[in-house]
Amino acid sequence: MRTILGLLRLFFSFGKWLYSTSAFTLVVALLLIVVGVALYASQGNMATFSITILSGLLRAMLLFLVAAGLSIIFGLMDILNFAQGAYFMLGAYVAYDFQHSNMGVLRMGDSIPDPNLRFVVGVLLAIIVGLVLGFVLERVLLRPLYERPLFQLVLTFGVSIVMLEFIKGVWGTTPNSWTAKLALQDAQFELFGQPFSMYRLFIILAGFIMIFAVALLLRRTRIGIIIRAGVEDDEMVNALGINVRAVFTLVFALGCMLASLGGAVAAPFLGATPSMGATFLLAAIAVIVLGGLGSYEGTAIASFIVGLAWATMEQFSLFTNIGTVLSSTTPMLLLAFILLLRPNGLFGEAR
Amino acid sequence: MNRVGKFLKENWLYLTVLVLLILLPHLIGWATDSSPLGVQRGDRFIMRGQSTYWQSVFIELFALAILVMSYNLMFGFTGVISFGHALFFGGGAYITGMTLEFMGLEPTLGLLVGVLLTLGICGLLGLTIGLATLRLRGVYFAIFTLAIAEMVWVFFGRFPATNGEDGLTLKSLPTFIDPTQNRIFLYYIALAAFAFTFFFIRRLVSSPTGRVFQAIRENEERAKAIGYHTLRFKLFAITVASTMAGGAGILHGILNKSARPEYLSVTHTVDALLMTIIGGVGTFVGPVLGAAGLELADVLLRDAKLTLGTTVINVGESWNFLLGLVFIVVVLVFPYGIVGTWHRWRAQRRKPK
Amino acid sequence: MANLLELRNVHTFIGQFHILEGVNVSVQHGQITVLLGRNGAGKTTTLKSIMGITPPKTGEILFEGSPIHGKTSFAVARLGIGYVPEHRAIFKQLSVRENLEIAARERGDLDRSLDFIFDLFPDLKRLYHLPGGNLSGGQQQMLAIARALVPNNRLLLIDEPSEGLAPVLIEQVMEAIKRLSSEKTVLLVEQNFRVASKLADSYVIIDEGQSVASGSMADLSKDQALINKYLGVA
Repeated sequence: MRTILGLLRLFFSFGKWLYSTSAFTLVVALLLIVVGVALYASQGNMATFSITILSGLLRAMLLFLVAAGLSIIFGLMDILNFAQGAYFMLGAYVAYDFQHSNMGVLRMGDSIPDPNLRFVVGVLLAIIVGLVLGFVLERVLLRPLYERPLFQLVLTFGVSIVMLEFIKGVWGTTPNSWTAKLALQDAQFELFGQPFSMYRLFIILAGFIMIFAVALLLRRTRIGIIIRAGVEDDEMVNALGINVRAVFTLVFALGCMLASLGGAVAAPFLGATPSMGATFLLAAIAVIVLGGLGSYEGTAIASFIVGLAWATMEQFSLFTNIGTVLSSTTPMLLLAFILLLRPNGLFGEAR
Repeated sequence: MNRVGKFLKENWLYLTVLVLLILLPHLIGWATDSSPLGVQRGDRFIMRGQSTYWQSVFIELFALAILVMSYNLMFGFTGVISFGHALFFGGGAYITGMTLEFMGLEPTLGLLVGVLLTLGICGLLGLTIGLATLRLRGVYFAIFTLAIAEMVWVFFGRFPATNGEDGLTLKSLPTFIDPTQNRIFLYYIALAAFAFTFFFIRRLVSSPTGRVFQAIRENEERAKAIGYHTLRFKLFAITVASTMAGGAGILHGILNKSARPEYLSVTHTVDALLMTIIGGVGTFVGPVLGAAGLELADVLLRDAKLTLGTTVINVGESWNFLLGLVFIVVVLVFPYGIVGTWHRWRAQRRKPK
Repeated sequence: MANLLELRNVHTFIGQFHILEGVNVSVQHGQITVLLGRNGAGKTTTLKSIMGITPPKTGEILFEGSPIHGKTSFAVARLGIGYVPEHRAIFKQLSVRENLEIAARERGDLDRSLDFIFDLFPDLKRLYHLPGGNLSGGQQQMLAIARALVPNNRLLLIDEPSEGLAPVLIEQVMEAIKRLSSEKTVLLVEQNFRVASKLADSYVIIDEGQSVASGSMADLSKDQALINKYLGVA
């Protein structure tokens, strides 16, 4: 009995600490905890550990691509875009379909015999689709509803359902796994005796570049200044002679584009499945809640924490008997914990 | 006497509908020459014929209507938005089903315990989620309900004890309520639950508590400034709505004699949201009309085909897609729904004079 | 010479509330015109109606003779109207430089106006790279006014610049407004009658959503009865 009480007290003081401690300490502590658990979950096997960390970093980058748009859109226009996951999924399907001739919707991919070039074109295509559909969603569907924010939320949710059903209708309900061979996938490097495909490394590097590119865009360019000012007070930005609604449209379309890009580059690992949208949406929401709604730095850092924690929990689930259940509910579990323990996030202000 | 007269005058339309619904199995039976009890074989009844078929359609409809009305209590009257209402709907079916199948109680007692457990757990779960998130901005409640619902949905999709994807079959249902043997009894139970929910919500919303709900929907800050503890009122609305959704889930589970993961899927949340908006957000009759309209459309159009040029669209297969489209169109061009638009039209016709 | 800005019988609603019930204002080139009136009379709403933030339901607003009512706020601003809202709505997360940069409408706006701004508000030069949120109330007010000076605006709408400032700072801000009025036309909202009477050339009194009196400031200062009726503590 006493031990139980002691444990409970420990748990509560941990919760209290999480609630009150400074963001920096928390980030360091969370990263240490996650890496520590990852070490424990790999049972001292460095090869397994490196798999966990690498796939965690990979997840982090993909999550960042979904979460960045989600976070900036939320900060600027106060819309939590529940369709962001659907854009991620659509990107994956477009890239997948373009690559594989047996799918039979975007047959024009067959005219490019080289699979690598075909992949690049497929990714570009996914980017364009995301950009255009993002534009349409904001311009046509969300714009009439700025006076009624509750309905905007409801509408993005509805759009995510329509996109999911559309994808199921066109490509079927069964998951598709990636079979094409890319040069970057075949090329390998070794870490602790464990071979990894270069593609993984490439995505991680590209993700880092994206993080800094978006940061530069926000810090150094005029449009970035407008976005940051709009997060504070869009009415004032408008009164300075800047067409804020046009900026909204642009940012929304760019956010959706990032998500599609994420889906397209994820397809070689994850394939294209109808459930990936909801999974990544919830994980990305976990990221922006942890990072603090509307904070870009928070989003970038939280992507790492959530990505690594996700990979760690999947590794962990390999040797528990409810493994499959645990691994597929990881993003929601993480989100639930974050909401319960530090709902204002790392860098968020209490709102 | 006067009070009874007043009650009758105010509610004559609803009471007429109620009487019609009570007589419905017999009316259909009389019109189509089929017995409301089904076809007798020895000492058992086989559920065959128009009357029993329409009974099952209406039981489903009542369950959906309860779900939608409960959603409307939160969304329409209090302004709290949830993206995980299916959690309580499917949860209701699972809790009752697991109580019946795993506890080894005598069926009638098992059902009773299951129903009580369901209502209790659903209410408590709603209360807990509300407590955890409602101090924050409204969007957190939407996020959290979505996350929990998805989690539970994935969980039951893989949970071996309830047969994962296939779901749990209710074999230990007491005979008197078994829809394959005594459907008309279930029909009246469902009708009673439906009528109770309708009048309960009507009573609740027109009470002082209900006025606070609406004040919160219109402007929470102002309601706070007047001195209402708005959090408590929202929690109350959520608890009541979750309990009702659990009840709807029980009916749905018993009618289908199963508890399957798809009861927990986001489709049912979308249904609730859509039917609320189509019928009229924040009205009493709207959710019922929305539920009835969509359920009947689903039944009637399930096998219809839509020809657009050379492509033939199978309505049943693309039902969710079409629903989603309707949903978007309604939100954009028809935001007050059927009943809301009707009220506005009537108010406008009176005004100019 | 024609008036730079002209409001004719403007009616504005916020939600279902009828806030402006007939406001007439003329602002002449090169002058400082002040809107006077009690709290809640509709002065701020008048400025917001000009800016298109709360667009008028009926009535006309003419800028340089052409109608601007019904235009969105950014289109109004681009015609050459700078808006300095009450409560110093600067961007607190942005640096002083970025606060000014965002107001530039054309390349070179900032470079052209920076000397004038630093001349008016020497403090801002020292604080140029600090976040706006770190500035004191008076400095934020200066930044808000400076921001409206970056593009080539012909008219400035300034809402309660003295509100919540220490007397020394009020002097400083008023001095700056006086100086910039040699180049710009100003429509000012001011509660503090002493400040307003020193600064303004002409006045419009707004009471319960209607413009009830207007004329030159010199005349108003002599008319104690009018001051007592609309501006005195009732």
